[in-house]
Amino acid sequence: MMFLPRLAAAAFLALGTMAAAPADSPVDVPEPEGFHTGPQQGYTPPTLKGAVVLDIDGLDRVVAEAKPVLIDVALADRRPAGMAADKPWLPAHRSIPGAVWMPSAGAAPLDPAHEALFLARVAELTGGDKAKAIVTFCRPDCWGSWNAGKRLVQAGYTGVHWFPTGIEGWQETHETTVVKEDPAWAARGRSEAQR
Amino acid sequence: MKPFTAALALSLAASLPAAALLTGPVLAAGASDTDAERQARWNEIRTSIFGDKAVQPTDTLVKVDAPVRALDAALVPITLTMPEKDKVAGVSLVIDDNPSPYAANITFGPAADPGEIKLRVRVNNYTNVHAVVRTKDGGLFETTKFVKASGGCSAPMGMSDEEAMKGMGDMRMKFAEGAPGAKSTEATLMIRHPNFSGMQMNQVTRDYTPARYIQKVVVSQGGRNILTLDGDISIASNPVINFAFLPEGQAPVTVVASDNQDGRWEHSFPVPAPSN
Repeated sequence: MMFLPRLAAAAFLALGTMAAAPADSPVDVPEPEGFHTGPQQGYTPPTLKGAVVLDIDGLDRVVAEAKPVLIDVALADRRPAGMAADKPWLPAHRSIPGAVWMPSAGAAPLDPAHEALFLARVAELTGGDKAKAIVTFCRPDCWGSWNAGKRLVQAGYTGVHWFPTGIEGWQETHETTVVKEDPAWAARGRSEAQR
Repeated sequence: MKPFTAALALSLAASLPAAALLTGPVLAAGASDTDAERQARWNEIRTSIFGDKAVQPTDTLVKVDAPVRALDAALVPITLTMPEKDKVAGVSLVIDDNPSPYAANITFGPAADPGEIKLRVRVNNYTNVHAVVRTKDGGLFETTKFVKASGGCSAPMGMSDEEAMKGMGDMRMKFAEGAPGAKSTEATLMIRHPNFSGMQMNQVTRDYTPARYIQKVVVSQGGRNILTLDGDISIASNPVINFAFLPEGQAPVTVVASDNQDGRWEHSFPVPAPSN
């Protein structure tokens, strides 16, 4: 079984490099005071104060009962530096059908203009209803969706759900669909580039 | 809550039994939209690689074997079988949902026995894997297989970049004991090379390690080409390729490998003496 030593090594390395960060344990990671400002990839806490943590059955239930706003903050794939120019680069982001994809919206710290845009988009998507069900997600061991959920709790949303296993947890038993970056969110990159 | 490990593949493997029970019926429901979407994706990739040339489906010219659910998304074994090997000029491997889908292109030379090729690849997401055979008369024929694996392109190697690059370009070749009187010899080529995808984050610096991958491998014996492989970031680290060739005399098998950062390595391997 070739994969076991490699994974064990990866887990060991993750523990070693994260010793100074709050998330130093795979089983009992405490919630940080505010946002998690370390690497997006890493063990996450089992809880998010002010939000409901969902497993896949919980998500199925919320989707069926509350028609939540699904917010995907998974990072976008970027063309790797050093790749031959003639290679086709055709990234396609697969996500939960109906999700609104705002890549990197779970970053912390987040540019204040981007944070304002994120909250404005969520306000639009919820129709201004602070009690509307919202689900934030990205991928397993990804702090982005935890931070995004935290951001919404802080903004006064009371129906926040966090789905930590994210896209991978969903596609275990459900179909995904190709989702394009939310156009309003994508526009931030252009304004940033103009600056 | 289930504790999640940093290694995604492990979490997938751990939840395998429950998921295996569920996938069948759930996938069947509403599969048509998804099928259409996956077909559209393939059409887009096919056009970008093969242009306007027709690519016909085939059940006979090429077959893809891969685990339906891979244990390690960064190391997914793929077998391409080409039973009508006398017709085959080359074969391409496409991993539809990888951001860089064109994983490998193999062109067979006069010394090849193109019946079977094995490779190990990275799979970024649940995806169709396509094999496209080029026949000697210029036709293109494809077949596909769905593979469940996720996160393979960005999975860290679990060691520092320096460590991963140690011995880069070293090679080994193993020859299989052929059946008595067999005309062809099976060989396994192993190349030490991290094949950095450019999507892997250095766990210490939090920067992406730039892509450094094997771009071309030319295998020949005594000046007769066996195969030429065009590689990509979707090939797993420390590439391993199984192939077969038609040995002639005792000239060694020569391998010349080069990567996208001007690395170039050449090694020769003595062929085993005929067994009869």
